[in-house]
Amino acid sequence: MRIALAIARKELSLFFTTPWAYGVFTAMVALSSFFFVNLLATFQQVQEQAREVTWAMMPPDMTAYRNLTDGVMVQLWGMVIIITLFIAPFLSMRLFAEEKRNKTFELLMTAPVRPIEIVLGKYLGGLGIISATLGLTLIFPLVLSAFGHADSGTALEWPTVLLGYGGILLWGATCMAVGMFISALTESQMLAAFLTFAVLLPWMLLSGVAQATEEPLRSVLTYLSFDAQLQNMLKGILDVQTLVFFASVIVFSLLLTHRTVEARRWA
Amino acid sequence: MAMIEVQHLTKRYRDRVAIDDLTFSVEEGEILGFLGPNGAGKSTTMKILTGFLPPSEGVARVGGFDVFTHPLEVKRRIGYLPEAPPLYPDMTVHGYLKFVAALKRLPARELKGEVERVAGLTGVTHVLGRLIQNLSKGYKQRVGIAQALLGSPQVLILDEPTEGLDPAQRAEVRALIKSLAGKHTVILSTHILPEVTMTCEKVLILNQGRIVAYDDLRKLAGSQGTSESASLEEVFIKLTAA
Repeated sequence: MRIALAIARKELSLFFTTPWAYGVFTAMVALSSFFFVNLLATFQQVQEQAREVTWAMMPPDMTAYRNLTDGVMVQLWGMVIIITLFIAPFLSMRLFAEEKRNKTFELLMTAPVRPIEIVLGKYLGGLGIISATLGLTLIFPLVLSAFGHADSGTALEWPTVLLGYGGILLWGATCMAVGMFISALTESQMLAAFLTFAVLLPWMLLSGVAQATEEPLRSVLTYLSFDAQLQNMLKGILDVQTLVFFASVIVFSLLLTHRTVEARRWA
Repeated sequence: MAMIEVQHLTKRYRDRVAIDDLTFSVEEGEILGFLGPNGAGKSTTMKILTGFLPPSEGVARVGGFDVFTHPLEVKRRIGYLPEAPPLYPDMTVHGYLKFVAALKRLPARELKGEVERVAGLTGVTHVLGRLIQNLSKGYKQRVGIAQALLGSPQVLILDEPTEGLDPAQRAEVRALIKSLAGKHTVILSTHILPEVTMTCEKVLILNQGRIVAYDDLRKLAGSQGTSESASLEEVFIKLTAA
């Protein structure tokens, strides 16, 4: 475990010494701020309208805008998930591909280190990187709770907001696991990023495809879809099934990565 | 028992034979020079010995442990400098050496002293705080050697350790390697012939994946049918001309 931690620490320190990190952070903050401001504007508009005509007169699909949690945060988390889908491949691509191109993979493979320690170390490093990136978005609920008002007293329902945030972290962790496996397959970082995106995007959209199919295929596809799995968590409903689903995808990706690294010894 | 034992080692890539039926051994404390033209199989042999590549056939043992079945035992005993020094350009020399020391499972309390020791041996103490990407080629090579020396491994496998160094630095590295003899078993590859004469006791010459000569440096000239006074260069050219 000490070796895995040393590798994780190396990943993190390398990440933070490259301009790449700050580019990614900027992209994350800029994109999510853009959506945050837009959501706030819409929220304000709907609220003003409701004040004139009362909520009873508003169309039913506007009820989400009655409070900041459903009107802004839940929808913002939904956007952060999509931003993560675009950003995570650029964070995971380095994990193995760069070591191979740099010839430092030879150092890892000839040191008295087990493949499992390499994989766990890399993944822990990857988790640190994605958590740091996603951590930046916590500023939005903090801003809302500091400056927002609600009749009930607190501006935000923190349990819902935090559960949604947990869903985002889970999603980020999944993206990194899948991305790490793909990065272990190639020497080219760009190819790794592109393939990761090409795997994650259709997987994300599986729930849309499911709508066009018949049962029982429909339930299967919906279960397998990232999007459908995340929706409940974003709305503040904790479902064990969701946790099991994401944990399986992560563990399976780690196993595949381990196999890929281990296979290096045989070919 | 020999520290390094290689028997009938063969490595094939799809249609190409990289090394063909190599058998040799290195005694404890000995320095063996690996010679041969580019592409003769020197690096491939070293990669197999360090557990980076599996052999297609044959056995390699280090310290009595089979490289393929007991990789961790073998890797613990080896310090390896690959052909291209495996460096992280964005790390400082100090950070890099500490990382490698951790990979080699050195106890945390020995890390600092050990990093300082190898830095002193290879003359990189005054660049410890610098980023590796800003170092000259010679210094990068020295950091590569320093990394191999961490933890005083019993066996050192150095793939062209003097590559990219200027003549003065070459002399220093040669002196360093010579000073390691006795304490460490060393395999060193090079295509600079005088280097072998100056550092090694035994020479193995590879050509197209086969051993064409394997003997004590002193006996080599005589055994190859050339005159006793023939230089290593003459022997080398004669043997690898085929």
